[in-house]
Amino acid sequence: MFERRLYFHIDWLLIAAVFALCAIGLATIYSATGGPTNVYWTQIYAIGLGLGAMLACMAIDYRSLGDKSHLIYLAMIVALVGVLFFGAVRGGSRRWIDLGSFNLQPSEFAKATVALVLAKMLGESRRRALTNNDLIFAGILTAVPLLLIARQPDLGTAVTLVPILLTVTYVAGMSVRYLAILGLVAALAAPVAYQFGLQDYQRERIATFLDPEQDARGAGYQQIQARITVGSGGPWGKGFMEGTQGQLRFLPVAHNDFIFSVLAEEQGFAGVLVALGLYLFVIIRSIDAARLAKDRLGAYLVLGVLASFTFQVVYNITMSAGLVPVKGLTLPLMSYGGSSMIATLAGFGLILNVRMRRFTN
Amino acid sequence: MAIAEDRRRLANRLGWLRVSVLLMFGLLAGVFWFLQVIQHARFQEMAENNHQRTLALRAPRGVIYDRTGQVMVENRSAFNISIVREHTEDLDRTIRLLARVAGIDEALVRETVERHKREPTYRPIVVVQDATLAQVAAVTARRLDFETNVVVQEVPTRRYPSQGLAAHLIGYVGEASDQQVSDDGLSSGAIVGQSGVERVYNRMLMGGDGARRVVVNSVGREIRELEKVPPTEGTRVQLSINYAMQRAAENAFHAYGYWGAAVVLDPRSGDVLTLTSLPSYDPNDFAAGIDRATWASLNTDKLRPLQNRAIQGRYSPGSTFKIVVATAALEAGLVTPDYKVFCPGGATFYGRYFKCHLAGGHGTVDMRHAIEKSCNVYFYTLGNMLGIDRIYEYAEKLGLAGKSGVDLPNEIESIVPSTEWKKQRTGEKWYAGETISVSIGQGQLSVTPMSMAVMMATVANGGTRVVPRLVTAIDDGEGWTPVPPPPAPVKSLLMKPGTVSALHDGLWMVVNGAGTGTRGRIVGRDVAGKTGTAQVISIQGKARAGATEKDLRDHGWFVFFAPRDNPEVAGVVFAEHAEHGYLAAPIAKHILETYFAQKDGLPLPEPPQPKPAAPVPTPAAPTRVAANTAAFDR
Repeated sequence: MFERRLYFHIDWLLIAAVFALCAIGLATIYSATGGPTNVYWTQIYAIGLGLGAMLACMAIDYRSLGDKSHLIYLAMIVALVGVLFFGAVRGGSRRWIDLGSFNLQPSEFAKATVALVLAKMLGESRRRALTNNDLIFAGILTAVPLLLIARQPDLGTAVTLVPILLTVTYVAGMSVRYLAILGLVAALAAPVAYQFGLQDYQRERIATFLDPEQDARGAGYQQIQARITVGSGGPWGKGFMEGTQGQLRFLPVAHNDFIFSVLAEEQGFAGVLVALGLYLFVIIRSIDAARLAKDRLGAYLVLGVLASFTFQVVYNITMSAGLVPVKGLTLPLMSYGGSSMIATLAGFGLILNVRMRRFTN
Repeated sequence: MAIAEDRRRLANRLGWLRVSVLLMFGLLAGVFWFLQVIQHARFQEMAENNHQRTLALRAPRGVIYDRTGQVMVENRSAFNISIVREHTEDLDRTIRLLARVAGIDEALVRETVERHKREPTYRPIVVVQDATLAQVAAVTARRLDFETNVVVQEVPTRRYPSQGLAAHLIGYVGEASDQQVSDDGLSSGAIVGQSGVERVYNRMLMGGDGARRVVVNSVGREIRELEKVPPTEGTRVQLSINYAMQRAAENAFHAYGYWGAAVVLDPRSGDVLTLTSLPSYDPNDFAAGIDRATWASLNTDKLRPLQNRAIQGRYSPGSTFKIVVATAALEAGLVTPDYKVFCPGGATFYGRYFKCHLAGGHGTVDMRHAIEKSCNVYFYTLGNMLGIDRIYEYAEKLGLAGKSGVDLPNEIESIVPSTEWKKQRTGEKWYAGETISVSIGQGQLSVTPMSMAVMMATVANGGTRVVPRLVTAIDDGEGWTPVPPPPAPVKSLLMKPGTVSALHDGLWMVVNGAGTGTRGRIVGRDVAGKTGTAQVISIQGKARAGATEKDLRDHGWFVFFAPRDNPEVAGVVFAEHAEHGYLAAPIAKHILETYFAQKDGLPLPEPPQPKPAAPVPTPAAPTRVAANTAAFDR
């Protein structure tokens, strides 16, 4: 499949860390759902398929992928538009393409695609510095899928595209001044957006976050329960399948959005440190891959993929401690979810791809 | 050059990214350390409150027996229907639905829920106590609608197998009032004794509620049991009451058509063998929460069925008080039993003429015959010799003044006047003329049937003032232990043998000779006794009672003990509006016959046949004039 030479440059440690996190996630799902349920088996299949996607993404040289990036991007846009019209509706939003036995969530794959297309566009720019036109074009490339995903509506996933844009433009040389201005504009726009841009349920979530007790039975419930779940775990945890909060369903969607809370409850602070350590290792190791990358395309591709991953990891873990508003953002590698697992592993396939080809021409 | 610069910038910015990631993860680790290590205890407790519930298991109250081992109060299983607010999404809807399904008043349910508003939401609020099977079935059938919001619980509930029998002495139970909850440290909703023995011995009878600690899931469904502390049944209590005598007393009252009270004591120990007050109520009505209509009717009933006449009714003693005067005169050494007085049908004291009830007079009578014939003139004379304070002194020693000290709540004092009492009451001095009325049981005397029974017990046993008691033994699960009798409040007056024999002879003659109590006579049992008639204060009575004729008729007393030598029982029958004391005697007779039959192992006597109330059969001459107060003119 690969040239023999490439084989020696595969980052086995990164792969080991990634699959260690998958294994921890799988065990926690097993515990949270009370045994070898459908959810558990689906997750195993997803990891298997994800491994395949990862290998596929490693096999093809990222530069060839970069050359096809416009086609891949277009395919993704078509898929996202298609979802809006033909997607399966679940829980009030249209996110899935029904493939018979399997539901595909195109928005999960949008992240890697946006990373690829931004890397290609900015990485192969012949100009010395980043121009405003570049920034605007990059912004449009990101905004199109973002708005399409937001229409589903799936604000959580849509927002994960923003860190990709910010990170890639940042390393591509965007002036720090722009970042500062952006931050300022965001701060000023927030109240306006709150008033006009958000739907009622979203406003409610934010209000609840600021004062969970005001709605302890409703929206604030999850947040309070998340904190109780984590806190009651203590230093050493309640033990595998012994958590009361997750097992007795005080915490909703324990195998999904709140998988990390369950881990914290059952394995305690010790388990949390192990998981955090693994995530940190994966991220730092990937930043290394970007640093070692042969070209800008590779470096930007790695960082783009890594940006949405890191954003999701940090946000979800913060949420699982009840410290940010509850939002339907899963924890990559650990949460239950086929598309997310496959897309995430495919993303790591790209990262490994860049690293293993750092010496090739 | 450009590429190198490019590389440097990239490396620099990657460095910043690395630093931010490290910072974020450091922060996250700090957050989890804070939550899981620093604040662990707090969240641990919150998690436990989340999934652990402690549910009370009500202890069955102690079973109450009579002295012969007959069960007087026991427990049965009842079903309570409760609302659990914890998971009720729409409390209003649940209340509405439950009221409709169970066929109860919605406002009432709402009120009940409101009353328990401040309790923890997982604690069930009982809205239907002692639900009927139909209600339980209806609620169970709607299980899907109610989910875990409405639960049916089985609880032990009081059962009084003999309904109204001895209701006043046993009492009834009810939900603890807010006052009781805060004063006695009871839990809200606890069932406690509200009157009678149930109340006095409540602590003992209640036992200890148990508890179940269970794990529940997020919708409140029980997952498993962590711990179960079974309830401990309340202490079993044996009463001094003799069930057969109690039954006999109530049967006899019904048969002869009177309301009233009866108290029978064992003069040797103070054991209360019978304590009756009629009309009565059914304590079963209270056991599972009394409904308003029943409660209101019990409270507004003119016959006052909730009043325990034996300890809360106060009446003029009439001629029975002559026993006190006789005792006082003999014990004070003023006279001997042979002291004779000539009765011409009346006598003048302090310038006023006081009549005897027998117009022609009794002629010359000694103590024994004076008691037998209830001669007023004889006792006017003794009373005049004694003075009011000495009469009071002996009344107290015999147990007729003050409270008996029986272990029942809300006993009222019996009043026997004295100079001091009058001074305190009215600020006026006592006039010697008033003593003359008191000596035959008139004037400001007002006594309870219970104190009358104590007085007879003291006379019967030769002067030992006993304290009546209802509980003889308790069993807290480790076998029966006798309860020591309470100490007497007043130093005993050991009567001279002459006094005892004169009193006993005289009282025996009342029943067995030419006296007024012959209807209490039982061949071979040597019953001794005395009748009395208590005037109903007509003027006030008329105004208050709206005056049917029966309301104004005098009350009848019959005090007694038996046998004359070494008495085993002593007591009183008080028959409301019986007009004559001798009409109370047959009730006592039936009680005594039952006592002796049971003692000898013979079949118990049949209850007397109800007689047409109207024409009072005319007995032999002496009894006709027994109502010595009716014609009394003050």
